[in-house]
Amino acid sequence: MRLRTRNLKSRILPLLLAAGLLPHGLRAETPETFVSDAELAIQFRERCEYVIDQVVERTDPTNTKRGGMFTVAANLHRGTNLEWARAHIREANENPTGAMFWMHPMVLMMESGRGVLYEEDWAFIQELWRTYFPYRGDTENHWIMYYASIYLASEMFPEAGPEQWYNGKSSAVNMAEAKEYISDWIRITTSYGQGEYDSPNYIEEYTRPMALLAGWAQDPVVRQQGKMMMDYILLDYVVESLDGLYGGAHSRLYPRYLLQPSLTAGAAHGWLFFNQGEYRANAGNTLIALSGYTPPPILYRIAHGRADEAYVHRELKRTRWRLRNAGPDAFEIDGKSTTPVYKYSYVHPDYILGSSQGGLLQPIQQQTWSLIWREDDHSGKTNTMFGLQPYSSPFEGTMYFGADWDTVTDLIARSKVDYDSPDKLEGGSPYEHVFQDESTLIALYDIPEGTRFPLISTLFSRDLKNREEDESGWIFGQGGSVYVAYFPFAPGEWKEVDWTGLLKSGAGAWFSTNFEELARGSQCLVSESLKNGYIVEVAAASDYASYEAFKSAIRDLPIEYKLEPTPTVTFTNLSGKSLSATYGGSLSVNGARIDPTKWKLFDGPYSKAERESEMLEIRFGQERYSLDFKTLTTETTILEVE
Amino acid sequence: MKYSIFSIATGLAALALAAQAQGTEHSKIFAALAMTKAQESSPIPTDSGVFLYDAQADDWHRTGPVIQAINSIATDPSDPERIFLACGNGIVRSMDGGETWRMTSGWRESDFTKIAVDPVDGGNVYAASVWGVSVSRDGGASWKPANKGLAEKYSRTIIVDERKPKRLLLGTADGIYQSNDGANTWKPIRTSPKLVILRIARSEADLDLWIAGTEGQGVYISRDDGKKWVRTAEALSENNIYAVAVDPFDAANMAAAGWGTGVWVSSDSGESWSKRGEGLPSQNVTSMTFDPNQSGRLWVSTFEEGTVYSDQQGDNWQSGGLMGAYVYDLGMIPVK
Repeated sequence: MRLRTRNLKSRILPLLLAAGLLPHGLRAETPETFVSDAELAIQFRERCEYVIDQVVERTDPTNTKRGGMFTVAANLHRGTNLEWARAHIREANENPTGAMFWMHPMVLMMESGRGVLYEEDWAFIQELWRTYFPYRGDTENHWIMYYASIYLASEMFPEAGPEQWYNGKSSAVNMAEAKEYISDWIRITTSYGQGEYDSPNYIEEYTRPMALLAGWAQDPVVRQQGKMMMDYILLDYVVESLDGLYGGAHSRLYPRYLLQPSLTAGAAHGWLFFNQGEYRANAGNTLIALSGYTPPPILYRIAHGRADEAYVHRELKRTRWRLRNAGPDAFEIDGKSTTPVYKYSYVHPDYILGSSQGGLLQPIQQQTWSLIWREDDHSGKTNTMFGLQPYSSPFEGTMYFGADWDTVTDLIARSKVDYDSPDKLEGGSPYEHVFQDESTLIALYDIPEGTRFPLISTLFSRDLKNREEDESGWIFGQGGSVYVAYFPFAPGEWKEVDWTGLLKSGAGAWFSTNFEELARGSQCLVSESLKNGYIVEVAAASDYASYEAFKSAIRDLPIEYKLEPTPTVTFTNLSGKSLSATYGGSLSVNGARIDPTKWKLFDGPYSKAERESEMLEIRFGQERYSLDFKTLTTETTILEVE
Repeated sequence: MKYSIFSIATGLAALALAAQAQGTEHSKIFAALAMTKAQESSPIPTDSGVFLYDAQADDWHRTGPVIQAINSIATDPSDPERIFLACGNGIVRSMDGGETWRMTSGWRESDFTKIAVDPVDGGNVYAASVWGVSVSRDGGASWKPANKGLAEKYSRTIIVDERKPKRLLLGTADGIYQSNDGANTWKPIRTSPKLVILRIARSEADLDLWIAGTEGQGVYISRDDGKKWVRTAEALSENNIYAVAVDPFDAANMAAAGWGTGVWVSSDSGESWSKRGEGLPSQNVTSMTFDPNQSGRLWVSTFEEGTVYSDQQGDNWQSGGLMGAYVYDLGMIPVK
């Protein structure tokens, strides 16, 4: 890494303060709060050690059947409970399963066990890699975990021949293949956007393998790739986060996490990396804490230093690979079809309203738009709002999976148990189009007759207080220090959020436990009109003298809409902008058509990245931190002060 | 048995007939499957792999490694020791009759559905996948894409013409395609329906007779070696047909089945069809084959409710095991 400092003027004042060179009368003042790079590094390391402490303290050395490889790794790292660890490695691997979810914890354990485990332990471990043939999986996170793991495992035994690996390939061949895949994944991600984008749950399925590479790859190229992709993924997260909660539109989310954003892996990362929110046990954090990866300070400064002003942040992502039914918007990357995803987020100090354009952008768990708002304490809060058309179809299933038309929905629901339920809280729909300008969101629906679940649903959580259905047609609410107004175009009914029907054994229980804690008291507004739509208008409470003043302002806003033959709306929002949108068309703001097709990979005040650039510039104040994945270099530059 | 077919039976059927006469097996029924019925809390089946039917033991025995998502198996007709597995992970090959295995494809290849080996030159191996066709010119040691001419890459089935091994038929999401140059280029067969082709089978007793199952438009048949395709089994014309088969001993006997259809059979080369669903454990059929070692025996795999067989054209179904399995492919492979 190169540090190039063009101008040090901004550092002179602190230096003078430190040297005591200012006039006598100023010496008694307390310095402005500034967390130095040194302090950030120390604090981050302290949180890492705390994570490891917690894992070690929870270890039950009397029970060799329970623990898992993350716990083993933490103990091997600390040199604690070693006999338990050695026994548990054997007991936990009597019948290996889980594919890449077996592989990467094993690699973490192995790396942590260097110099600690005995020869017979390594013989046992190598035999596992010879005999257990892991599935490479069917998602982007599966593949990157698989290849990061096999790369590092092979690198540990560089001379191992093909007879020593499950796939009959030597370590050298495995490493070469994995290295090529990892490089290609990085190239595609930094050129066209991530396919499994911005998931508050699955973020750790990417930070885990990248931290593994950053922490333990012997090849400096692979190690640098891991570090830089960690920076990239965390930037992607931090510019759309609010006190550690991941806002905006998401590729994948599970219902329990939809309802309580503070429970997500993203929120757990927020605490570890940026000291936001509360500590929660999280396997990804354990791995990262052990890896030694340290985030660049600029990310912390973005997380904490952007509280004063709202901003618009745009991103270009892409859908998961489509193997059939790719659609007219699809384009190919190296022979595989995908479709652009246009993300728009309005990041306000008190809330984030974010959206994608709608449609089937991801299988099963897509969140097309969401609002999250700041609470004094996020724990236990359903500080979110979102809407969906609960679509379920083999058309979607066969678009993304190789399974048969008649079995794909059933097989999906074996693990994603709510997929085929009208009560579900996540998922994309081909009949949903979403438009957004800053704090105004418009959703339009045109649902054909015969659709499996012909309805739309919008969450009004228990923490959206003071809900009122106004004679004007608006529905008002207050979440934290945010006012929300919602205008439905067709009537609906209030329905309790209810997944108790899914609370059966197996996947249902895993998916839906803690119903009372997570969902009781929240409601959905459900409308069965096939042609439909709504407007969401959000404002900071501080912008109005009172809740009544907000409601009054909203009531005065002009709305013109029609649902036949095609849902169309023209609306003037609280900022005085005139927004027009038609289902199947585009958004116009004050008569100017918004064309997202030219959007960049990242475009906001804290990040810039051009399409197909393989680069990312991270910005904060005068500081610029650039990642160049073609040359695998990073560069910090400081701009001149105006 | 109709002895007259000896004069036209070729390939595996001839082998099978000779073997039956000698009381030995030269081919075995295989099932490429995943045990999905007990799969509750996870997307991972409780078991998966390829199983061969042991007629003497009346049981199924695993062959090859335990890998999730093995969709089919193929052997080199000229050297059955060379075995190929079509896997989600890629192509896994054994050169020693299943003693050792190696994944010969790389990260660019995945999600294979069917493999076909050139019966004359075993160096040419062809593999269909949901991402298109891959071809190997070195006996499966390395692979490269072979999609030139395909409008849709999604492919479920591929067959080498044993009379003209450079000719292949491919079932894609855009109908049946044909290559006459060993998969270097593909052209659509004009009379093929333009939709997903789920399965293609060829008669071993009459090599001009082909049959195809489609997604949503039932069964198609060709009686002129795959040149002209016409719909047959009108009662199934709106169904997804996952299984088609032709009796290797008698080309007049054929069967088709799919989701919710039960089994339909024809004993007059597809001129007329009748349903044989009674007694099946489920009407949802995923795979089917005639037994190369037992004349007239039809094997049928239902979705998660077991595999059955009948020696009477679909009457009187007998349990064949594999309860709980989702059998992706049921067929026969030559064995040494």
